[in-house]
Amino acid sequence: MTQKKVDTDYVVRFGRRDRMDHVLVTVLFSVLVITGFPQKFHDVALARAIVSALGGIAQVRLFHRIAGVLVSGLTLAHLVTVLAGVITGRSSLSMMLSGKDFRDAATTLRYYLRVSEVRARFDRFDYKQKFEYWGLVLGSLVMITTGFVLLFPIAATHFLPGQIIPAAKVAHSNEGLMGFLVVVIWHLYNAHFAPEVFPFDKSIFTGKISRARMRHEHPLEYARMFPEEAADVLRDREEDPARK
Amino acid sequence: MLATVMASVVPPANTAAMAEESDSCLSCHGDEKLTVTLENGEEAPLFMNKDLLAGSVHKALRCTDCHVGLDEVPHPERHYKNLAHFRASFGEACKTCHFENYTKTLDSVHYGLQARGDVYAPTCVKCHGSHDIARPAEPRSRISRTCASCHEQISQAYARSVHGKALLTQQNQDVPVCTDCHRSHDIADPKNKAWLMGTPALCGKCHADEKLMSKYGLSTNVLATYLADFHGTTASFGSKGETSGNERVVALCVDCHGIHDIGKVTGPDAPAFRANLVKTCQKCHPGASQNFPAAWMSHYQPSLHRTPLVFLVKLFYAFIVPFTVGGLILQILLHLWRAVVNR
Repeated sequence: MTQKKVDTDYVVRFGRRDRMDHVLVTVLFSVLVITGFPQKFHDVALARAIVSALGGIAQVRLFHRIAGVLVSGLTLAHLVTVLAGVITGRSSLSMMLSGKDFRDAATTLRYYLRVSEVRARFDRFDYKQKFEYWGLVLGSLVMITTGFVLLFPIAATHFLPGQIIPAAKVAHSNEGLMGFLVVVIWHLYNAHFAPEVFPFDKSIFTGKISRARMRHEHPLEYARMFPEEAADVLRDREEDPARK
Repeated sequence: MLATVMASVVPPANTAAMAEESDSCLSCHGDEKLTVTLENGEEAPLFMNKDLLAGSVHKALRCTDCHVGLDEVPHPERHYKNLAHFRASFGEACKTCHFENYTKTLDSVHYGLQARGDVYAPTCVKCHGSHDIARPAEPRSRISRTCASCHEQISQAYARSVHGKALLTQQNQDVPVCTDCHRSHDIADPKNKAWLMGTPALCGKCHADEKLMSKYGLSTNVLATYLADFHGTTASFGSKGETSGNERVVALCVDCHGIHDIGKVTGPDAPAFRANLVKTCQKCHPGASQNFPAAWMSHYQPSLHRTPLVFLVKLFYAFIVPFTVGGLILQILLHLWRAVVNR
């Protein structure tokens, strides 16, 4: 933790590497969607227009494959970094799922349904962020594996049955669609349209988050960062049920 | 009604005029030995066999309707280098009446040859005949015989095919003859990439026709399953002109099923077709192993029985996608609702 307890109204939440990874994923994901969807929905007029504009189907596939290989590299680099962090003991594995995340999800659901007025207290990442992260990582692994099978069908069928090719295509196509829907529905809602952040949660780009938001959304991490306020923060929460 | 009466009245008068003119032409051209010497010394026969006209659809026409500018005797002088040149000169005679079909021929591979100066390239009369001109598709098998007069080998391959056999031995009227695929007047160059890329749609004209295929117990899924697969998707982009020029042509219907010698893939021919599948794949994918042909689901939809892995993966996503996306939308709605309640 390098956050300075100076008189700033924000804390640094994301380092340069995290911010860069986010930008790269955004760009590569967009390229993959733009070059992938016209192949999935090939008989739609818009798909034909996109393929024309990009210089033909061979060109579109080339862009798709380049972006796919780059995503593979990025994912690999990320996993190596995490693994290295674990081995050297420098990483806290803040994305690791635990029983608390499932309890938090249940607590939040009860809160939404007004069964209970108790709100879950989150650490560095709340359960929504963790589930999205794992969705992205596991989804990427599915996309990368099936993508390479589809890129090298001859090699793949040397040691695997032929059926693996159409199966990989079905998986690649559906997993891609699901990833796209999660991003446009879920991620854009949470980063842009949710009342707490509307119109734009900039923290993944600037790396900064306001102290007020940090205290509200990640009280457990906040309490660790600012031990002198810890008692306050944790009491706030207990008073929540009184809020109507 | 009046038109019908008129039509039935007019021909006799016409026939009379025609007979009169024909008699005058035949006074010279009825001589079997009548010839003219061309510039290269070749002799062009000028004899007209009267009997040929009897079966002609044009028997009511005057000689000069087609042989324009030859009403006067002696005929105005004309110059022809050789026999082929002399024959080619008749090529333009038909357009006076058949202008639409004539303009179509301008887009044909045959006209392309003519335009490059090939006097042997077929003109109207080469396919339709001249004095004995008859309806070209009666019977339908006549069409393939017509093309066979130049394209002999291809015609033999066609005769061996499932289409050719049905036509020639059973007089089947549903199977395609040459012109159903290649068209009649605007015959495209079959090596033309745009035309080639459009061939799946050509096969689909019949093979995606539910009514026609049900007669023979054939699946109409073949086109859709092809288009949904990698090769078909590529071809479908190529056929609409969305190509980048240096693209390889991908496997089309004809690459696996054959072109003129298209055979059955069911029944007694099936094992041979299956056994050859690896070789067929290897034409484009040299390293393909015995496993590889199974990568293509043979025009079938994924099924538990035939392709269990593909079927199960599809089933898994059929549940997981709506479950995940629906769950997230529900969570968003609940979140928004609680935010409204809190206000």
